[in-house]
Amino acid sequence: MTSEVTKAPYPFQRIAVAVAFSPRVEAILAESKRLQDLFKAEMIFIHVGEKNLQQEQYLKHLLHRFGLDAPANQLLWEVGDPVEVIIDKCKELEVDLVVAGALEKESLLKYFLGSVARKLSRRAKCSVLMLREPDILSKPVKRIVVEGSDHPKTVNTVDVAVYVAKQTHADDVTIVQESDVSKMALIRSDVFSDEESEEHKEKIFEDENKRLDDILKCADCGTLKVNVERIDGKPGYVITQYAREQKADLLVLNSPDTKLNLIDRVFPHDIEYALADLPCDLLIVHSRVQELSE
Amino acid sequence: MTHDQLIYLFLCLSVMLLSGRLLGEFFRKLRMPLVVGELVAGIILGPTILGHYYPYLTEHIFTTKGNIGLVLQGITSMSVVMLLFAAGMEVELAIIRQQGKTALKASFVGLIIPLVLGFFVGREFYHWFGENNSGNILVFSLFMGTAMAISALPIIARTLMDLNLFKTKIGMIIIAAAMLDDLVGWILFSVVLGMMNTGVGSWGFLYTLGFTVLFTLLMLTGGRFIINKFLPWAKRKLSWPGGILAISLGFAFLGAAFTEKIGIHAIFGAFIVGIAFGDSVHLNEKTRDIIHQFITNIFAPLFFVSIGFKINFVANFDLSITLVVIVLAIVSKLLGAGLGALWGGLKLKEAMAVGFGMNARGAMEIVLGLLALQAGVISEQLFVAIVIMAVVTSVMAGPMLQYLITGEMKVGVSLKEINPLSTDD
Repeated sequence: MTSEVTKAPYPFQRIAVAVAFSPRVEAILAESKRLQDLFKAEMIFIHVGEKNLQQEQYLKHLLHRFGLDAPANQLLWEVGDPVEVIIDKCKELEVDLVVAGALEKESLLKYFLGSVARKLSRRAKCSVLMLREPDILSKPVKRIVVEGSDHPKTVNTVDVAVYVAKQTHADDVTIVQESDVSKMALIRSDVFSDEESEEHKEKIFEDENKRLDDILKCADCGTLKVNVERIDGKPGYVITQYAREQKADLLVLNSPDTKLNLIDRVFPHDIEYALADLPCDLLIVHSRVQELSE
Repeated sequence: MTHDQLIYLFLCLSVMLLSGRLLGEFFRKLRMPLVVGELVAGIILGPTILGHYYPYLTEHIFTTKGNIGLVLQGITSMSVVMLLFAAGMEVELAIIRQQGKTALKASFVGLIIPLVLGFFVGREFYHWFGENNSGNILVFSLFMGTAMAISALPIIARTLMDLNLFKTKIGMIIIAAAMLDDLVGWILFSVVLGMMNTGVGSWGFLYTLGFTVLFTLLMLTGGRFIINKFLPWAKRKLSWPGGILAISLGFAFLGAAFTEKIGIHAIFGAFIVGIAFGDSVHLNEKTRDIIHQFITNIFAPLFFVSIGFKINFVANFDLSITLVVIVLAIVSKLLGAGLGALWGGLKLKEAMAVGFGMNARGAMEIVLGLLALQAGVISEQLFVAIVIMAVVTSVMAGPMLQYLITGEMKVGVSLKEINPLSTDD
């Protein structure tokens, strides 16, 4: 296991957008324009496929139409496996955020095989924004739900959520602490008396609250309204359900620790609950402070 | 059943539950697991003490004959199936998957050393361990290996809590490794029991192993999927928590019946269904708690108290067998689990503490022993030794940890201090 320090996870100065000639291409570009303006970012549009004069002209026309043809922006036509190409380009160009459109739900087969957006979210070495319902018309980001799990990456994820909330002028950010029921079950056996179980549980909650308080003290929240919610249940699943119930506009999660594979879909990784059925737009924050090499 | 038989049955259940609870609470006050008190209740009321002086009294409280005996046998079989279902619910596939290769390594070391040591001691001293009905050294040796490898998850959780390691990366690796050990241990044990039914030839072994692995894979993929689809419907349509309780146990008995039918023991079906159920995202803490309370406070005592009625612990006590089993259990698990923890990055004292935590065999070892006895794999002398070993290893875990923690070992040490790599993701 090696670790290397790279760029900080934010600000989003360089944003890559995966472009395909799908019915949603105009909506994706409209969203890109808003991201460019909100984050004052350079935009890199990546299309993977054989270059075709007609398509190239059409894409340039769209970029011009949405005000995305600034000199600093780039349009890349590449060939190869879309996911591999996009990941390589993001790494090469030190992209901070890669954006892709994604369907709310995919067929079971496609879910297990993986679409481009979902594969990116599982493997990218930078943050990934999956747009569930990209729209030509502007939609304000009002409510952001962010993961508050007991993980070293959470501090960066909360920081990024606060940063995004400020840039998008969101109304509030809710940090969700998921109490893993299976771990709690282990301290409820006859080895512990009821009082001991409660004591241990309280201690765990206290530690988690303290850790979150420390994270929030460091986060530059300013006047932003930040709430904390504790929910019992399976990590990944409960936060996805919560985001859906609260009609959140953006769900922010830690990136997976390792590249996810088929096993992580059969025995779901926490993040797979959100990927299986997107509750809203999904931002997966890659901390980039430590990088695993397996 | 006649009117009088019904009265005897209810009196029997009442005596078992009340005595088990009272003695369980007494032993808990002494910081010992509830199950020790339940076992002692059975030993006092059974042939070992009360039955020795007043056999007719013991026979009236718990009989193995006639209709009442049949009903009691049914209740204890049902109890053990439920116990395994609850044990399965403790196994968390996500934790095993999250910890990945590291847990696999720790699990492998923690499993292979007790398994190999148990196997070889079983093989070399087959006749010395007392007469059994298996008639086969391989089956017996495999059982001995499995019996040494199994661990008690709740006691491990307690160990990690006391060491302030429960919520840390290394703590989760140990938990995942223990869960994996248990899963492999129960698969192996099912194969051992299956070999008793199908014979020990290569086909019998392959048949049992094949079906056990196939059933495990199917339940943990397709079965889990079906349960995950079914539970939300049940939540919407059925009353809570009664509906979920009935459904979970309904599935457990279905799994038990299925595995019994295909020649693998019923407990294995319940265990695997328990894993599939416990893994469901739709099972919240309260529901888990209700299932757990229902099983561990009503059916587990009936099972553990009944053991004392079936065996005379004094007549079947063999000091040398007991000592060998205890020493073998402690040495093999301390070596295996301790080395696994050292490999995981803990210091020697912490690794020893983890070794003693994983050394505790707990209630599941007794279940394993009784099933092996009923299947004719082991002798009554060895069963008594195994029960004593399970109690001794569970009881010694606390004081040993206390000693290791309050010695020079720093309590509440942070994960970073123990293992600088541990905060790596």
